[in-house]
Formats: sequence, structure tokens, C-alpha cells
Amino acid sequence: MNNTVLELKNISHKYKNDLILNKINLKINSGEKIALLGKSGSGKTTLISVLNGTIKPTQGEVKLFNKSFAELDRKQKSKITTIWQDLRLIEDLSAEQNVNCGLLSENNFYFAFKNLLNISSFKKAHKYMQLCRLHNSIYDKKIRNLSGGQKQRVAIARSLIQGSNILLADEPFNNLDPKLITTIKNLMLESVDKNNTKKSPKTALVALHRLDLLNDFDKVIGIKDGKIFFNIKKNNLKKIHLDKIY
Amino acid sequence: MVCIPLGYQLINNIHFGGFKLFQEFLISAFNPKIDNEIIIIVIKRLNETILIGFFSWLVSIIFGAIFGIISSNIFYKIFNIPNFFYHIIRFFLTIVRSIHEVVWGILLMQIYGINFSIGIIAICIPYIAVNSKVFAEQLETIDYKSFESINQINGPKFSSLLTLIWNPIINTFKNFGLYRLECSIRSTVILGFFGIGGIGTSIFLSFQTLNFRELWTYLWSLAILIILSGLIFTKIKFKTTNKILSIFLIAVFFITILFSFLYFLYFIFNNNFENFNSVSSLFKSNSNLGLLDFLKLILETIILSLLSTGIAISLPPLVIGIFNNNTSKLFIKIFAFLLRLIPTPVILLTLLTFNNPSVSLAALTLGLNNAGITSKLLFTNLDSQDKRNYIAMKSLGISKKTSWLLGLFSQQAKSYLAYCAYRSDIIIRDTAIVGVIGSVGLGWQLQESLSSFAWQEVSIVLIAYSSIAIVGELINGKIKNSLT
Repeated sequence: MNNTVLELKNISHKYKNDLILNKINLKINSGEKIALLGKSGSGKTTLISVLNGTIKPTQGEVKLFNKSFAELDRKQKSKITTIWQDLRLIEDLSAEQNVNCGLLSENNFYFAFKNLLNISSFKKAHKYMQLCRLHNSIYDKKIRNLSGGQKQRVAIARSLIQGSNILLADEPFNNLDPKLITTIKNLMLESVDKNNTKKSPKTALVALHRLDLLNDFDKVIGIKDGKIFFNIKKNNLKKIHLDKIY
Repeated sequence: MVCIPLGYQLINNIHFGGFKLFQEFLISAFNPKIDNEIIIIVIKRLNETILIGFFSWLVSIIFGAIFGIISSNIFYKIFNIPNFFYHIIRFFLTIVRSIHEVVWGILLMQIYGINFSIGIIAICIPYIAVNSKVFAEQLETIDYKSFESINQINGPKFSSLLTLIWNPIINTFKNFGLYRLECSIRSTVILGFFGIGGIGTSIFLSFQTLNFRELWTYLWSLAILIILSGLIFTKIKFKTTNKILSIFLIAVFFITILFSFLYFLYFIFNNNFENFNSVSSLFKSNSNLGLLDFLKLILETIILSLLSTGIAISLPPLVIGIFNNNTSKLFIKIFAFLLRLIPTPVILLTLLTFNNPSVSLAALTLGLNNAGITSKLLFTNLDSQDKRNYIAMKSLGISKKTSWLLGLFSQQAKSYLAYCAYRSDIIIRDTAIVGVIGSVGLGWQLQESLSSFAWQEVSIVLIAYSSIAIVGELINGKIKNSLT
């Protein structure tokens, strides 16, 4: 049975004269938890942007649920959620309002209106913020007044609240202290496994720098200079693989 | 540089017949007419001014926001609309705002006759376009990455748009909206000179009858209105966290839109076109305007704009730099306030008492009025600036003037010049008012053509005005971008 949820066929992407991605072929199956390894500037962020449809590659084909992005409707596209490396939160909105943005796809215009006017109690947002260890004293604070770690958790809460089938995360643990990293990682990956409901992410691709965080992943992909150097099961990962990309 | 041609022409054109009148005008400032009769007139006229000013402000700020949204690139990105429409709507708004509200007022009065609503509509037309530019500029500052992240959530398009634009729009309302009310009141006063009503009409009638004491009563009452409104504005703190206030303001927003549409329809279908039968008359009537005369008028308008801009930019730093002590600063502030307060037609008519009409005189008037505005901005910025560099330079024995120039003004120079680039857009538009009163440039020709119902000439003059304003806006935009 074909359970491929995301597929890249011969993807190349150029920015100005630089080749950022070079003939990438990749299949991601439902339920897989994949770690994406590579040095800074190796093309991880671009690969994630191609996977979520933000960047249209110069060459090649991207398929989500065996359909190209152009063929997908809004609801289908919303099955992918992304935690960006640079977070991409709206600085002038509060933490709670930013988390609620994750619910825009499953609500109507009136919800967006209520969110901006703060004229409702948003229990779901509070639940996810609590899960991400965000204290209720920061719910009303604007993003620009939060610490790096708090912003990171708001971005994670916004992404998790979407309940999408596919989670793409670009170095999501960057600003977190070690104790919190474990909690947040478990939260992100647990929802893949245990809360295997319609609204929870079932598949995860996470770009990482730290090798000690690989434990909970099934597969590891190594990328260097825009090329995939290895795509193997985590248990098969050896030093020789890492030497190729670092 | 500006002083040489300006001074030469002004000295050549001076005549001494009106010095007594000028003296009387100045003395009357300290002895305005105060009795029951005039107080009743002042209250009535101020009411009219506030009404026209307030309604034109309300409609123009709300529709300005709407047009600002649909002329910002974020709107086209979210809805995947081709950029062609973006350029079309921007071009249309540039043309609309390039024509001064006085010109719209005169034009509409010629078509519909004198009418209270004409004042509101005449102000609204260019103000909507001006406000839309400010809103659009704010929306252009939205981080592209925020757009990408919201877009990637794949919510309904209107929800994504609202979430992204909410804060820039609210902040523009807060920072810019109330200032525009003051602008609307000033424009209402100017339109009053052309018969719309309000305190402007009274000021003009007093001047025509040389009743300077009465004139100053109106001017001081206008000053009180502007000072009071300024004080109220500084006290108003709009908080989006106040739910009841937010809901009330949103209700006002939608009611205004609905009311404006209904009123617009009523206005269109219930007015007689007094002197204007069809659009075709714009092109069919005869024009006696020769090409050379027309080019001369265009050149005059450009020179007028350049000279006025020169005065408005250079005068405030020059005067503040030279007279750099607390007492002088106080006098400069009072003088700048008076220059802002007294409408340009009054300044021009006063100067005309002892000088013949000329481009230089019109430029001096426009320049002085705008210098009052630029000096206010410069004072505000200088007062709030960190003065450590200035103090350090003075402690090194450097003269006070040099310390001010290098330690204080140099840090403000870029932002000041960037604001002046924006101001010069307004100066180009304002040449219409001094043109009409001071018999120079295209403004004067417009008045003449309208008086004789020469619609073709009117069209040509309006196209010329738009072209100058559009070119000016493009040049100033480049200057502003290079400074910020």
C-alpha cells in the first residue's frame, strides 16, 4: 500500500546564481519521524520551505498526498504545519493571539475578528500554551516583550494547535534550555505517536544540529551543499555518515 | 540660494501704499473685537467648521484605510491578484491626491453650486487618497516572513489578511488619524475662503472689508480650537484591549461606510448640475490658452514649488541654529505657531498690502506657512533627543552654534529631510491655493477658466497639475527612500 504523504521528485532550487537544492528525491511516509541533519547553509531551511509549499522550486515536482500543490485545496494544504527557525510570529500580537492564529484554517472570519479583539475565552489556546510550559502571565504579552525561549514555545504551540498530519520543524529547540528541550521534544513527537487522532501530526521532519536528540526518530537524512548524502534508519547511522556532512 | 531670487523680486515689487494697513493688521492682533454679537457668530462658524472638518475626517480616514488596504501589496499577495491591478489603483489614487481639496471644492461648486456637502466631499476626495498612501506605506512594512507563516496556516483569505494588517492599521489610526483631523479642520478653513462656510468664510469676509479686529477674533478663536483639539488628542489613549471601546469603534466604522454610500447615492441623484451638462463639455468647449502661456504657467508653478520648499526646509534649522537660546526659542515657537495658524490666503493677502503679486511673494507665503509646520516637527524631535553629544561638544570649548549643528541637528538631519521630502508633496498641491489668491501659476489659470466655464482649459490645467504632482511625488519618494 502506498502511504507516501510527501514526495520530492528531482527538486533543484536556485537563488540568484547559487544552487541551494540539487536534484533532491525524497519520499516521506505517513507516521515517519525523520531527523534532518546538516551544517548551517546546507539547504535544510530551503528543503523545508519547498516541502511546505512556501518556495516553488526552480525545477522538479512536489507532491502532497500524491497531488501537486496547485491541485490541493486550502483544507488539504492545512494538513502541513511548520515551526520555522526564525519563528515568524506576529510581533505586535500577544502570545495568545499568535497561538490562535494556528486555528485560522479550521475557523471562519469571525474567529479571526474575535481573536484580534480579545472578545472570547480561548481555552484551546490556553491548553496548548500550558502544554508548552507557558505561564498564564504571558498570555496577554506582546511577542516583542517575550524572551527567546518563550517566543520559541509560542511558535511551537501555534504549530501544534493546528493539529496537522505533517509537522515540519526547522531547528525548533534552538532557544530552549536543556530541561525544556526534552519536554517540548516529547510533546512534539508524542503527539505524532500517542495522540494519533485526525487532528494530530502523524508525520514529522525535524531539522536538528544536536545529535543527542536523535533518540526518538525513525530515520535520519543528511544534507550537504543542497544534496542528500544519506537517508537511512536511525539505528544504521554511523560516524562515517556524519563525517560526510559535517 | 532661495533668498537671492526671492529677495530681488520682492524688493523690486514693494510698494508703500499698504504699510498702514499692514501695521493695522498687526496691531489688531492684540486688540481683537469682542462683543456678544461676534461671539455668537464665532460659535456658529466654529460649529460649521467642526462639523465639516469632523465628517470629512471620519469618512476620509475610514475610506483611506480601505483604499490603503487594497493598494498595498499584501492584499494582492494574499488573494493572488495580478500586480497589474495594484499599479492601476495606485496610479488612480496618485492622480486623485495630486489635486488639492480647494481645486476639488472650486470644481464641485461650479458643477453643483455652493452646498454644505461640497465642503465634505471636496476634502474627502484627496484626503482618502492621501490617507490611503499612509496606510499602504504602513502595510508595506509587514514582514514578508510573517505573511509566509500566516499564509502557510491556510486559513480563509480574509482571516489571514485581517490578522496581518490589524496592528499596522490600528497603529496608523492611533499615530496618524488624529493629526488628520487637525488637517481636515485647516482645509475646512481654507475652503471657507471660497464660500463653503465656517470660520474661513468669516475670516475672508473680514479681510475683504479690512475689518482686522474682527479678523483676529476669528483667528484667535481658531487658535483656541486647534490648541484645544491638540490637548484633547494628547489625552486620548485608544487601547485595543478595551473591548467595549473596540466594538463601539468598529460599529462607527461600518455605520460610516453605510452612511457614506447612502449619502453619496442621495447626493448624485438629488443634485442639479447647474453649470455642467456633460462630461463631453470637458473636451468640446473652446480654449484661448496659448501653448507658450500655458508652459509659462507650468514653469511658474514649478518655480513656486521649488522656492516654497526651499524656504520650508531651510528656514527652521537656520533660525533655530542662529538664535539658539531659550528666550529666542520661545519666540520662534510662538511665531511658528502663528504661521501655522494663519491660513495661507490671509498671509498672502496681508503681504499683498505692500507688495505686488509675484511668484516670489506666493513662494514666501507658502514657504512660511510650511516652515511653521516643519519647525514644529524639528522642535519636537530636538526636544526629545539625547543631548549628551551637544553637552560634550560644548564642554570641549566648541561654540554653542557649532555644537548645536554637529551635536544635535546632525542626528536629526536625515529624518528631518525625509519628512521635508513628504512635505514638498503637499507644497506642490498647495500651490493651487496661493495660485488662486496670488494670481500666479496654474492655480490662477484654473480660477480664470472655471469662472468662464472653459471646461477644456480646466481639463488641461488639471492634467498639468496632476503631472507636476505625480513627478514631484516620484522624485520625493526616491529622495525619501535614500534618506531612510
